[in-house]
Amino acid sequence: MSSIKPHRTAALAGLLGAAVLAAGCATKTMAPTAGVTDEYLLTVTRPGQLQVMDMQAHAILRSCDIPGKFGSGSIAPSPDGRTAFVLSNMWEDVYGIDIETCEVVFSAIQSGGDIRVKTFQSVAVSVDGRELYTVQNPVRHLPDRLEVLQPQLAVYNIADGLNAQPARTFPVNRRITKIAATATGEVILGGADVEAIDPRTGATRVVTALANWDRGPLWLPPDAFAMHSQGEHVNEYIMPYVTARFESEEWDFDAAEWWWGFSRVDLATGRAEQMEIFPLEFIIFTMVSDPNDRNILYGAFNTVSRHDVAKKETLAVEPLDHTYYAINISGDGSKLFIGGAGNDISIHDSASLAKIGSIQLPGDMSTADLRVARIRR
Amino acid sequence: MIHDYSIRTIFGAGALVLAGALAAPPVAGAADGEALLRSYCLTCHTEQGAGSGGLSRINEMRKSPEGWHMTMNRMQNMHGLTMPPEDKRAVIKHLADTRGLAPAEAEPWRYLLEQDTNRVEDVAEPYAEMCARCHSGARFALQRRSAGEWALLVHTHMGQNPTLELHALSRDRPWMQLALDETAPALAADFPLDSAEWRAWQAAVKPELAGSWRLVGHVPGKGEFDARMTAEGSAADGYTLRVDGRYLDGSRLSGRGSATVYTGYEWRGTLELDGVPMRQVMAAAADGAEMQGRMFRRDARELGGELRAVREGATGQVIAALPGHLRRGETGIVTIVGSRLAGNVSLGAGVRVLEVLSRDADRVVVRARADGANGLREVRVGTARGAGMLAVYDRIARVEVLPHNAVARVGGPGDAQMEKVRVAYRAVAYAAGPDGEAGTDDDIRLGPVPVSWSIEPADDDAAEADDHVFAGSIDADGLFTPGDAGPNPKRSMSGGNTGRLAVVATVAGGAEPVEGRASLLVAAPDFVRRVLD
Repeated sequence: MSSIKPHRTAALAGLLGAAVLAAGCATKTMAPTAGVTDEYLLTVTRPGQLQVMDMQAHAILRSCDIPGKFGSGSIAPSPDGRTAFVLSNMWEDVYGIDIETCEVVFSAIQSGGDIRVKTFQSVAVSVDGRELYTVQNPVRHLPDRLEVLQPQLAVYNIADGLNAQPARTFPVNRRITKIAATATGEVILGGADVEAIDPRTGATRVVTALANWDRGPLWLPPDAFAMHSQGEHVNEYIMPYVTARFESEEWDFDAAEWWWGFSRVDLATGRAEQMEIFPLEFIIFTMVSDPNDRNILYGAFNTVSRHDVAKKETLAVEPLDHTYYAINISGDGSKLFIGGAGNDISIHDSASLAKIGSIQLPGDMSTADLRVARIRR
Repeated sequence: MIHDYSIRTIFGAGALVLAGALAAPPVAGAADGEALLRSYCLTCHTEQGAGSGGLSRINEMRKSPEGWHMTMNRMQNMHGLTMPPEDKRAVIKHLADTRGLAPAEAEPWRYLLEQDTNRVEDVAEPYAEMCARCHSGARFALQRRSAGEWALLVHTHMGQNPTLELHALSRDRPWMQLALDETAPALAADFPLDSAEWRAWQAAVKPELAGSWRLVGHVPGKGEFDARMTAEGSAADGYTLRVDGRYLDGSRLSGRGSATVYTGYEWRGTLELDGVPMRQVMAAAADGAEMQGRMFRRDARELGGELRAVREGATGQVIAALPGHLRRGETGIVTIVGSRLAGNVSLGAGVRVLEVLSRDADRVVVRARADGANGLREVRVGTARGAGMLAVYDRIARVEVLPHNAVARVGGPGDAQMEKVRVAYRAVAYAAGPDGEAGTDDDIRLGPVPVSWSIEPADDDAAEADDHVFAGSIDADGLFTPGDAGPNPKRSMSGGNTGRLAVVATVAGGAEPVEGRASLLVAAPDFVRRVLD
C-alpha cells in the first residue's frame, strides 16, 4: 500500500519516443506556395490526436499523435504557425508539435515529485516565438493530506525542447483560464478580472476589473468565463461575461435587463475595451470577431449567431445540429468553423450563417480548442 | 454561464452499487479493530502528538458507517490501499463504532443514509451554494470534524476536483478563500468534532437487538406488508435474519439474510426477499424497542419504502391498521397488525366491527362499518392499543403524490454504462379536517390509496418538446421508467430523452375526481457511483 500513486514522468518520456516515430506516418503533405499565407484549422480529438485541417477543402490533412491521456486539448499556435502547443495528459503537460511533420519538438511535464499541476486552458506563446507561458495550479500530495498551493505563471524557453523546465515562475491569482501574449511583452490573464503580468518581473496590473468592478448596486457582478478565447486572426483576446442591470435595489431578477458583455484586449497594445454588447437571449460559449469589421461578432453554442456591438443587437441567429463549444473564422472572414463537444466541425457562410459543409473527425473534440495556424510561405 | 439564483438542490437517485455490503458481519472483533486500523493506516497517517494516541486526520473526524465506507473506497481507489473485503468491513465497523455519530446527530439527515434522495433539501447559507451545489446537504451534515480538519477537507476538494472553482456559482467569487475563511469555520461551529451528544452516546449502554421483531413496511409494486423478523446474534453486532410475512393482498413474503449494527444503533440488513436482493437501513431507538428506516432494492436503491420494526415483548401490541382508513357509511375490511393480539377488537367511536374474518396472535382481519365524525380512531385488541391508527372520513379531499420532487435518469439499452433510474410513486390521501378545507393543517391523513397514474409535460416548453412522449412512461403501480440514453434523432438537435414532467395521480369515488401532482425531472445518467450522494 502506498499513499500516492507515483507520477508517470518516466512513462511519458517513453511515449514521447513513440510520438516521434508516429510522425513518420503522415500520409499527406501540404503544398507550399511562395508568398502566400496558408491557413490550417487545428483541433484535438480523443483519444489524443492533433488534427490539422485544410480550411479550403474541408478535409483532414494530417493527424498527429499527442503524448499522454486526453485533456484538455487547449491549443496555442506559434506566431509562425508551424508549431501547435497542446495541453495534454489530463490538463498537465504541454507538447509542442510541428504541424507539418507531427514531430514533437517541445514538452513541459508540469507535475513532478509530490506536486501535481493542472493548467486550465492557460497556454500562450510570446510574440517573438521564444517563450511558452502556462498558468500552473499546483497541489502538494502529502502522505495523509493535500495542500493546495498558490497558482503561478510558468515561463519556458521553447528552445529548451523536450522536458523543458520553467525558466521563471511568478505567483498569480486563482481561477485563471485563457491567457494570451501581447506585443508589448505582457501576458493577459483571464480570470475573475482580466489582468496582465510582465513575464520578466512578475509585476501585474488590472486590465479590466470584472468581478471587482465598481458599477454600483444595480449591476450584477459579472460571471466572466473563457474556455476558448480565439482572436489570433485579429490579434485580440475576448473575455465574455454575463451581467444584469436591475431596476431597483429590490433585485427583481425577472425584471432585470440581462446582458452579454466582454473585455476585448488589443494584443498589440495591451489595452482593452469593456462594455455590454448585446442582450442575453441564449447561451454563447465562444465569440469571435469578424476580421473585416471588428464591430461584428459571431457566437456559437446551440446556435450560431451574428451580433453588432455598436448597436448592441443580435443581427441573426440560426440553430445548429447539436451543441458545439468553439467557433473560429477564416482569415478572409467568409467562413465560420464551429467545433468542440462532438466529432464534427460545422462550417457556415458568415454572411448568411447557412451551413455549407462539415468535417467529420475520428473522435470527440470534447473541451479542445479550434484554432487557426497561419504559415507565411 | 448564467447565474441561476433559483437553483435548488435537487439530487437524484443515481445508480448505486454498495461494494462490500455493510450488512455482512465483520470477522475481526471490536478489540482487534484499533490494531487492524493501525496496521493499514499508519503507512500514510501518523501518530499525533505524544499522549493523544490518535492517528492523523482519522482522529479528527466522525462519520456515519456509509461515510467511512466512502473514505475506505477513496483510499483504495485513489491512494493505493489494498485490503481484503473482510478487513475492510472490520475497519469500517471499528471506525463507525469509535468515531461515529450520536443518534441525535444523524437524525435530521437519515434520508441520505436511507438512500431516499428524491427530495429538495432546505440547506442554509453559506452551505447551499458553497457545498450543496454539487452534493447533498446531508453529505456534510452527517460528518463531524475539527476546525483544522474542515479546512483540510477544502484542500481535498480542490485537490481532487481542480476545476471546482471554475464552475458557475464558484468562478464569480473567490471560492477557495471563502471556503477556508468562512465556510470551514462555520462547519466547525455547526458540526463540531466534540459534542455532548456523542460523549453521552459513547457512555450509554447500547440496546441489544437480537430477538423477534414485527415488521411493517412498503415494497414498490407489491404494497404494504407485515412480517416477523428474527435476528439471531452470530458475531459482535452481527445477526442472521429470517423474515416471513404477507402483503395486504394476502400473498406471502419470505427472506433470509444478515445484519450488522454500527455505532450501537445503525442497523444495516441485507436479505434476499423472494429472490430479490434488498437492503435495510434503520436506526434503533435507545431502548431497543423499535427501529425505523427504509428497505430498498440492492440494485436500485430508488425502489424502496418505509420500514418499521417493533420488538416483540411479553404483552400484546397493536402496530398498524391496514389500510388505515374507512369511509363513513361504507363497509370495509381492515387488517390489524400486532404482536400477541388477544381479546376483543374495537376500532373506536362510531366504527362497528361486523365480523372477525380471521385472527391469530399477529393479525386480526375484520369487516367493519364506519360512522360518526371525520377523525382518527384508536384501534384496540384486548388491552393493546394503537392510538389514531384508523382514520374515518367522508371523502378524499386531497391527494399527495410522493415523492413531491424526483429525478429519474435515462439509461439502459442506448447507453449500457448505466442502468435507468426509475421513480416509484405513491399516492397518499387526505380528508378535510374540522375546517372543511383541503390543504390546511388540520387535514386528516388517510394513508396510501389506489389511484390511476399519468404523466403530463411540466409546462408549455416541455409540451412543445414532447417531453411526455420521449422522457418515459408510468405504469399502473406508479412506477415511472425513463427513456433510453443517448441521442434521439427524433428530438430537436438529436437531444436525449430527458424532460420535465408532471406526475398526476387521480382518485375517483367522489362527486369529482381528485388529482394530485408532483414534479419529475428526467435527467442524463449520473456516471459517478457514490455510497452517499
